Amino acid sequence: MLGLEKRIVFDLVEVVEGRCQLRQALIKDKRFGDTLSILPAAQTRDKDAVTPEQFSAVVAQAAEHCDFVLVDCPAGIEGGFRNAIAGVAEAIVVTTPEVSAIRDADRVIGKLVERSLPIRLIINRLRPEMVRTQDMLSVEDVCEILSAELLGVIPDDEEIIDTTNRGEPLALNPTSRLAVIYDKIARRLEGEIVPFTSFDSPGFFGRLFGSLKAG
Amino acid sequence: MHEPVQPLHSDVSETPATPRGRAIVITSGKGGVGKTTTTANIGHALARRGVRVALVDADIGLRNLDLVLGLEQRVRFHVLDVLEEKVELEDALIADKYSPTLYLLAAAQAREKDEVDEVKMKALIDRLRELFDYVIIDSPAGIEQGFKNAVIGAQEAIVVCTPEVSAVRDVDRVVGLLGNAFRPQLIVNRLRPQLVKKGKMLSVEDVNAILRLPLLGVIADEPEIIVSTNKGMPIALQDEGATSAAYRAIAARLAGEDIPAPTVEMKDSFMDRLGSFFGGRR
Repeated sequence: MLGLEKRIVFDLVEVVEGRCQLRQALIKDKRFGDTLSILPAAQTRDKDAVTPEQFSAVVAQAAEHCDFVLVDCPAGIEGGFRNAIAGVAEAIVVTTPEVSAIRDADRVIGKLVERSLPIRLIINRLRPEMVRTQDMLSVEDVCEILSAELLGVIPDDEEIIDTTNRGEPLALNPTSRLAVIYDKIARRLEGEIVPFTSFDSPGFFGRLFGSLKAG
Repeated sequence: MHEPVQPLHSDVSETPATPRGRAIVITSGKGGVGKTTTTANIGHALARRGVRVALVDADIGLRNLDLVLGLEQRVRFHVLDVLEEKVELEDALIADKYSPTLYLLAAAQAREKDEVDEVKMKALIDRLRELFDYVIIDSPAGIEQGFKNAVIGAQEAIVVCTPEVSAVRDVDRVVGLLGNAFRPQLIVNRLRPQLVKKGKMLSVEDVNAILRLPLLGVIADEPEIIVSTNKGMPIALQDEGATSAAYRAIAARLAGEDIPAPTVEMKDSFMDRLGSFFGGRR
């Protein structure tokens, strides 16, 4: 996704098995200076190759060197999910505003609450036009159903589809309004209070351009 | 009480108890690509042809198929109840509201996928194959136990892929895991012809240049699919419209009909016409 797939030498399972050091397996993304590193998953191994305890130890080791350790959790609530949540202190739940996705998110939130993890919500693929015509649940609806704190809203945008395919993250493009949205999410994670861009009210396009100017 | 499952009883007495229906697993590796919506729509499109169809939700713990079919209030028993022999299969099958030959076997919500016994699951699918012409199994995302449970009783596979590099990669992995036995066929889901035209989205050809699979269908990304899914009335129930026609074409291809390549149907689709209608604004 980040366009780093050709630079993978070691992966998470090899770190867990002690066949390499964590720092050997981390891939630095040079576009961000020295501050972003990726620990790739094993593509050829089963998720059962790692236990939650081992996973947790790797996350703890990474946390010694980094301010934030983001764990990309696999879909579902099986072993991969249990590994991914083993070593973390908080969770971001990503859902789309569709009934079936919300039901899954609700189930996952239940599992996270069992572990007393604080939860925040990102609503992805929101189509403001469909919310306006009441063909899609609004941000407020989703937050209410899941009763979770909102971290951010990502509109369903052509830009996203375009850039992930080229392995070029949006955050690198300063003119992208999605980069602005992700920047706000990052600032909220750092504890800053950042107002939300409204996607729900009529006259969405006007607001969109307004928010673009406002940055 | 719920309605009796008529085709089952009438059929059991007439035909020998050997599996004859086709068990097809719908899978993708990646989550959120539309497996469940695809399962529901193929189910309705096949049932429309008069054949008997059982939809099995193998996504234990994260069930959704009942919701997409609008049957969530009618779920009384589920797959695990049958596997654990708490209820008869006939009692757990839920008759669809709209298609008289369509039935759902719902997944358990408050349970774990590890609780499913693969041998029993295979036996269950075999029993369904005695009773139905098609048994369509909705697989959970991933390649863990839930995937294995979903695949165990199937002889064929349909892989659902969105035109995104990450989805293609996951599908490629799943096809590798399936091996040659399942003769996987491809559905490219959520295609936006306008974006493909602008070079901003992978085309069906791009996707299949990597996957090299028989193309079963192409479904455009239409807001009405989200609406129909939310309402629990799959779009394949509609008589008109490009999307329901695309699902009917998939059903016809599955049934062995020789239908022209789906990519041809995509040319000048609804989205293209919409695009040219708003041409001035782009």
